[in-house]
Amino acid sequence: MDTVLVVDDDPAIREIFTAFLTMGGISAIAVSGGRECLDLLSTRTPDLILLDLMMEPMDGWETLREIRHHPVAGQVPVMIVTGKQPVLADILQYGGMIEDFIGKPIEFGKFVACLPRTLEQIRDLHQITAQKKEAGTDPALIAEYIHLLHLVRVTQNLIRRYKDNSWADRISLKKQEERLASLHTLLGFPDRFLIWDERG
Amino acid sequence: MPPASVFIVEDELIEAEDLRQTLEKLGYIVTGIARSGESALESLNTTRSDIVLMDIHIAGRMDGIDTARRVRTLHKIPVIFLTAYVDETTLERAKVTEPYGYILKPFDERELHSVIEMGLYKHRMEEQASENERTIRVLANAIPDAVMLLDHSRQVLALNNAMEYRLGRIPSEGGEGPAHLPDHYGISESILSRLEETIRYGRTLRFEEQAGTDWYEISLIPITGPDPDHFRVLVQYHDISDYKRLEEQLKTEGITQIEHNMEQFQILNDQIRNPLQAIMGYVNLDCVYYRQHIMEQIGLIDNLVSCLDHGWVESEKVRKFLLRHYRDNPDEGPETPSVTGHGGGRG
Repeated sequence: MDTVLVVDDDPAIREIFTAFLTMGGISAIAVSGGRECLDLLSTRTPDLILLDLMMEPMDGWETLREIRHHPVAGQVPVMIVTGKQPVLADILQYGGMIEDFIGKPIEFGKFVACLPRTLEQIRDLHQITAQKKEAGTDPALIAEYIHLLHLVRVTQNLIRRYKDNSWADRISLKKQEERLASLHTLLGFPDRFLIWDERG
Repeated sequence: MPPASVFIVEDELIEAEDLRQTLEKLGYIVTGIARSGESALESLNTTRSDIVLMDIHIAGRMDGIDTARRVRTLHKIPVIFLTAYVDETTLERAKVTEPYGYILKPFDERELHSVIEMGLYKHRMEEQASENERTIRVLANAIPDAVMLLDHSRQVLALNNAMEYRLGRIPSEGGEGPAHLPDHYGISESILSRLEETIRYGRTLRFEEQAGTDWYEISLIPITGPDPDHFRVLVQYHDISDYKRLEEQLKTEGITQIEHNMEQFQILNDQIRNPLQAIMGYVNLDCVYYRQHIMEQIGLIDNLVSCLDHGWVESEKVRKFLLRHYRDNPDEGPETPSVTGHGGGRG
């Protein structure tokens, strides 16, 4: 059974998320903040972390940075689920480290229904990546590919969801997309990784 | 007014005595008679005289003209020349000493009187004028603003000490002639480009200029001069650095306040969405009949919050604008993603 860790300072959100996840056949753990999240990661490694941004004292981005430096759980996929509007500078800095940026409120039912497919895609990428590494592909290039894949996906999703946002028209992903495409061809990743659909 | 005192320089004893009697008859006090330039200068050191009657042709190393020049510079006493005959060369030399009058021998008593009176009057007027100039200079130097007067050919006619200091010129005591406006942090450039309007059309102009870390409000004020077709220009530098710094401080504080407000705004929106999210969750869990209606209402509230969000994004634009235009080093985020691709991500 897949395990999802919910990090949110609102107890109601934790409660409902847990209920829906469980109903969706997913094992759910919920913690109230960044510190608690990192503590938990020392003993358990979930398949996905759903991370809120506006938390005290440690906010979501700070938690994300800490997760990525975590000795055991540094590679756990993270999805941002927040009521805060995306800020361009944040997306540029962290977009390559997350699966998606989802704005509250969401329909829990739909969201949870999409999760198995998301987790499957994550595992798929993980698996292919492991194969590539084993086959002797340059790990630095792989890391760059994975980073760009996330950044481009997150940004395109945001541009689609926040059409009226002023920063959306200021962002230019052209160079990143070109680099991603050339790495994709160079490293020979399957084309399905470049197709992503609406979530949440 | 007490009778004027006259000093006589004349080597002919009889003529000197004749002159003294005439002068005393006219009501003057004769303070002394010298027979040579040297003894005249010596006597003038100890006696106070209002005017000197000087024979041009006197015995000794100095003639009357040399002596007059010394009297003028050392004692600042007006000199009237006396002579029976004078050639062109001597006359030219005499002119340079700027005599207060000229009396041909043999002199006429009335002529002597009028020339002396005219000389005394002219000297008094000159003293008064130089006193006025001193007063004006004191006033000009008393104001902290740097001021100077330019003529229509953009040459400096006069300037106060503050302006001399600003322009980096060494203060000089007149006689140097008009100087061209020297460059001062490029300010002269902006003055020169506007001068024409004031010189030709008599317009008063005011503008602000930065010089290093200082700010000035510069005024170009038309002044009527001898040329009817062109104005002279009074240039005034008023130091507004303190005012500018205060203004800058207010702007910075304003930006800080806006940033603070936007942060509050952001937190509030996030906080509104959380209960909204919770309601949505509970309704979906445990409400069948009214679920659709409640979800619609939640949708409306979410739209409102999104409007506020939009406001926040607009504020972000305002903030960027403010930072770009009012702060020295705008801390703008990158315009395009600058990702090198190694740090994060899953491997």
